Amino acid sequence: MPPALLRGLLLFVIAIILGFALMGFEMLASRYLYPYFGGGINTWASLIATVLIALMLGYLIGGALVDRTMSPRLCGALLIVAGLYLFSIPLWVDPLFGWILRSVGDGMTGIILAATALLLLPLTLISVFTPFAVRLLLTSVSFGGRLVGYVYGVSTVGNVLGTLVTTFTLVPMFGSRALTMAFAAITALCGLVMILCAKFLRGERA
Amino acid sequence: MNPSALFAAVSALLIVSSGPAAAQSGLLEKRESIYNNIFIFGDTDSVTMTFGHNKRYYTESGMKLSDPGALTVTYTQLMTVGLAYTPKAERILEIGLGGGRTVTYLNASLPDSAILAVEIDKDVVDLAKKYFGFKESGRMRAVVADGRSFLMRDNDRWDIILIDAYRGPFVPFHLLTKEFYALVKSRLAPGGVVVQNIEPSTMLFDSATATLNSVFPSVDLYDGGGNVVAVGYDGPSMRQSDLVARATAMQSRYNLRYDLRTIVAGRRVLSRPTGKILTDDFAPVETMRAIEQNNEKWKDQTEAPR
Repeated sequence: MPPALLRGLLLFVIAIILGFALMGFEMLASRYLYPYFGGGINTWASLIATVLIALMLGYLIGGALVDRTMSPRLCGALLIVAGLYLFSIPLWVDPLFGWILRSVGDGMTGIILAATALLLLPLTLISVFTPFAVRLLLTSVSFGGRLVGYVYGVSTVGNVLGTLVTTFTLVPMFGSRALTMAFAAITALCGLVMILCAKFLRGERA
Repeated sequence: MNPSALFAAVSALLIVSSGPAAAQSGLLEKRESIYNNIFIFGDTDSVTMTFGHNKRYYTESGMKLSDPGALTVTYTQLMTVGLAYTPKAERILEIGLGGGRTVTYLNASLPDSAILAVEIDKDVVDLAKKYFGFKESGRMRAVVADGRSFLMRDNDRWDIILIDAYRGPFVPFHLLTKEFYALVKSRLAPGGVVVQNIEPSTMLFDSATATLNSVFPSVDLYDGGGNVVAVGYDGPSMRQSDLVARATAMQSRYNLRYDLRTIVAGRRVLSRPTGKILTDDFAPVETMRAIEQNNEKWKDQTEAPR
C-alpha cells in the first residue's frame, strides 16, 4: 500500500473514532445534566449550543495551529489532554453541578455553565483534529475540495455512530461513568498514536 | 372474567391510553409548552388533561364538572394513603401537579395543612388553574421547577412527599434513581412518608420498586387499577392493625371522602423486590420500558400485610 494511502487511512480511522467519542460524550453529558437541571428541551438546547461552540473553537484553533506547525505531535498532545480531562469528570461533576445549582440556579445560565465545564475544553481539543487531518493530507490543491469533503464526511459517520450506538446500546449496557472512562481512554489513545506516528503523518520517512 | 375485573381492565386501558375516549369529546385547548404537548378535552360533564406523545394521548388528570370534589381516576384516591402512615400531615409536597386534583382534594380535606406543588411546566400550572379548579392560597402554592432540582436547593422537611411526575407515559429517569430517593428521604420529617404513582406494565416497574426499597426499608403497594401507588417509609414494616388504627384516627378527625380505612385494606407489602436497582450512573429506563409485562405480575413480589 502506498504511504499516502496508508496515511489517509490512519487519519480517517482516527477521525471516525474521535467523531464517535465526541457525539457519544454529548449524549452522556445529558445523563450528567438531567439530575441537576431537568430533562427538557432547555437542557438539550444548552448542551447542543455548547457542543457547537466547542467545534467552532476547535476548528479555529486547529486551523491556526496546523498552518504554523504542521505538528501531529502537538495535535496528539492536545488529544491526550482532552482524554485526561474526560477521565477526571466523574471525580468533580457532582460537587460542581450541586454548587452551580445552588448558586446560579437551573435557568439557561446555570445549564450553559454546567455544560461548559463538562464539555467545552475536551470537545474543543478533540475538534482541533479536523483541520490537522485536512492539512496533513493536503498534498495538492486540485484535490482539496474532495479531501475536505472526505474528512468531514468520515468524521460525521463517526458522529452518527457515536450518537446512536452510545444511546441505544452502550448506555443501557455499561452506565455513564464507565463509558466516560472508555471515551477518555480512546481519545487519549488516538493522541498517542498521532505522537508515535508523527513522522509518518508528516510525510517524512519513518 | 368477573364484571369488576373487566371494569378494572377497561379503566386501566383508559388511564394508560385514552385515545379513543378522548377523541369523543371536544378539544377545548391545545398548548405546546417547553416540555409537553398539552390537550384539554371536555364534554358536558367532564374535562381531562392529556399529554400527546407518539400520537397517543396520556391522561394526566380528569374532573367531573357536576362533582368537582371527586377524584375520578382511581389511583389519585390512593395517593392520599400517605395520611394513614404519618403521625402528622402538616406539610405536604407534591412533585408533578398535572391538573392538581390530588392536592386540591387534600387542601379541601385538611384545613391545617400547608401544601406545595412543584411542577416543571408553567403551562400545566396555568391550565390546572383554568380548567381544574386549582387555586393558590396561603395554604397551597405551586412552584415551577424540576422536582429534583427543587429538592436539592430547598432544605425544608415534609411530612408527605407525593411523586406523580410523568412525561406522557414515562417517569423521567432522574426521578427514579437511588440518588433521587436518598434526596427525597433527606427532605422528610421524622415519620415522613413518600408516595409515588408507578405504572406497572413494563419491566421498569420492578426496578422502580426495588430502587425505592433500597432507600426506604419498608415499601407498600396499592393497586389502582392500571397504576400502582407505592409508599416508602423508614423503619420496619408497620403492623396492619397499627396502620388501620392510624387510618381510623385520621378518618374520624378529617372525615375524608375517600375513606382511609378502605384504602389501607388494599395494602400489599413489597417483600421480594426482584428488579435491578437504578442509579444516576446506570438507569437504562428506555430499555426496561420496552419490555412489557403482565399488569398483575407485580403482586408476585408482595405479600399480605401482617
